[in-house]
Amino acid sequence: MKEFFKDNWKRIIIIVLFFGLCITSVMIGSLSGVTPSALISRDETAWDVLLYSRIPRTIAIILSAAGLSVAGLIMQAISRNKFMSPSTSGTTDAAAFGLLLSFIFLSSQPGIIQTIFAFVFALGSTLLFTSVINRLKIREAVYVPLLGMMYGGLISAVTIAVAYRFEVMQMMSAIGMGSFARLGNFTVVYIVAAPLFLSVIYASKFSIIGMGEDFAKNLGLHYNRVVFIGLVIVALISAATYVSVGHLPFIGLIIPNMATSFYGDNIKKSIFDLMIFGADFVLVCDIFSRLIIHPYEISVSLTISLVGGIIFMIYLWRGINGNKSRKTA
Amino acid sequence: MIEIKNVSQSYGRKEAKKTLSDINLTIRENKITALVGANGAGKSTLLGVLSNITPILSGTVTLGGRDVRKIKTQDVAKKIAFLKQSQQMSIRITVGDLVEFGRFPHCRGRLGQEDKRKVDESLEYMNLPDLRSRYLDELSGGQRQRAFIAMILAQDTPYIFLDEPLNNLDIKYSVEMMKIIQNLVTERNKTIVLVLHDINFAAAYANHIVAMKNGQIVREGCVKDVIKKEVLNTVFDHDFHIAECGGKNVCLYFDQVQN
Ligand SMILES: Nc1ncnc2c1ncn2[C@@H]1O[C@H](COP(=O)(O)OP(=O)(O)OP(=O)(O)O)[C@@H](O)[C@H]1O
Ligand SMILES: [Mg+2]
Repeated sequence: MKEFFKDNWKRIIIIVLFFGLCITSVMIGSLSGVTPSALISRDETAWDVLLYSRIPRTIAIILSAAGLSVAGLIMQAISRNKFMSPSTSGTTDAAAFGLLLSFIFLSSQPGIIQTIFAFVFALGSTLLFTSVINRLKIREAVYVPLLGMMYGGLISAVTIAVAYRFEVMQMMSAIGMGSFARLGNFTVVYIVAAPLFLSVIYASKFSIIGMGEDFAKNLGLHYNRVVFIGLVIVALISAATYVSVGHLPFIGLIIPNMATSFYGDNIKKSIFDLMIFGADFVLVCDIFSRLIIHPYEISVSLTISLVGGIIFMIYLWRGINGNKSRKTA
Repeated sequence: MIEIKNVSQSYGRKEAKKTLSDINLTIRENKITALVGANGAGKSTLLGVLSNITPILSGTVTLGGRDVRKIKTQDVAKKIAFLKQSQQMSIRITVGDLVEFGRFPHCRGRLGQEDKRKVDESLEYMNLPDLRSRYLDELSGGQRQRAFIAMILAQDTPYIFLDEPLNNLDIKYSVEMMKIIQNLVTERNKTIVLVLHDINFAAAYANHIVAMKNGQIVREGCVKDVIKKEVLNTVFDHDFHIAECGGKNVCLYFDQVQN
């Protein structure tokens, strides 16, 4: 028993934290009626709020956080670059562009159609970006996300120009702001479960891909095929989360970095820890956003940007300094 | 049996200088073949070609009489294991995980009883059980090299190609490694091709030596035929001195021994 705790404490901590955060997450909100005692006494409004508002919201947080963490991890394994993620390679911005086009051409559509548009653009853009990066053979890993953010900035500039021209600016900026408070498109977030499932099945293949192309080929893996499947997973997760909850910056970048430093790079072993870790992080950010100006709430993407931005800066700083010290050595 | 015929290779465009030109070679079964030659001679490229990892411009590589390119990659991976010259190490996986990867061609990631046994056995063989749960990036160069060899052993293929397996190994472990390689041939009927930089290790342990220069094979044969002053001088563009010691040829290549 003692052995078990000693070997698994890293996992136990985040799981216990996870359940605690889930309960907190469903208990807080602008309506104060949802209390354990109200639920026990079968108060109907309390149950309604819980079932149709609070629980879906918490599930959306868990799925989008776990999804983006996994998407980032897969991108990092494929590119063998710890700075890759959907939001630092133009993937999210391309998903936004696809969503915009679905608005313009088809006006209001069910979430699934919007997701398909966003997915197609996210995949195309990611394939383009990764193949260009591979051609360029950039030595310094840190420059890749910087290039990626410039590329993403370009796409989102076009998106804004087009949105402005077609007078859908307001809708786009409303969606772009990540939030779990919207209810309309929440069902789309359940799509994330499919690529998550696929990524668990492919976990050991992604680890092997992360060891390099020749390594993977030696073990009889179809390198290009696995990379393609990985990018499909990444694009689908990015599209579905963008359409349902909007832009959650930095999650795909910082969560895999933090999680792999605790749990290692063997994706097969660490993928569940990563998902829980990501969910914990976003749950904390969301709870904070809902409590700070209670009974109102601030946008969760604001909180995530703040915390995530600081962590990202630390990683970037370390990356640049690490390179310098290696050069002088 | 692995045989290559008229193989040419180049990394750049077709007009670029060829890294391998018109190579013909038959790998001898159940023997240790050593590839020797100067830096950039094309040894690593040849090993990559032999294991169907590096694409070729022209010629054929056959495995058991069939063109390797026509065999399913998963099946090739059950026949040929190839260890690169230098290993990536920024990745945080444990020694045990790495060796388990070696079973991938057999179990596609889901380890059965047999796979686990093979993993344990390979770790044992390379004297690594104590390091099993250590991360690769926290090992010494030699320990890491042994971990990668253990992975290749776990892959359990009849053909094993090792690019500079003595990299990072101290003298004791180098000799031990060569003994392990010899045992693999005698006890388990493996066929091994390795790139060696220390010509004396090739002289002492190989059954067959292939000397390369500028993408071509300049001489191949048994130890006696290749470990000769005039052959080595042309292969390495360096003055060699061959001494006899205990019935074996030993190469001296330091400047001071010439006079
Ligand atoms: N990936 C690559 N792209 C372009 N050229 C390459 C590549 N790998 C090797 N070369 C070139 O091909 C030639 C043969 O290289 P190879 O690695 O096969 O030599 P080697 O005999 O293994 O040398 P060493 O003893 O230094 O390992 C060299 O001139 C090298 O510059
Ligand atoms: Mg080499």
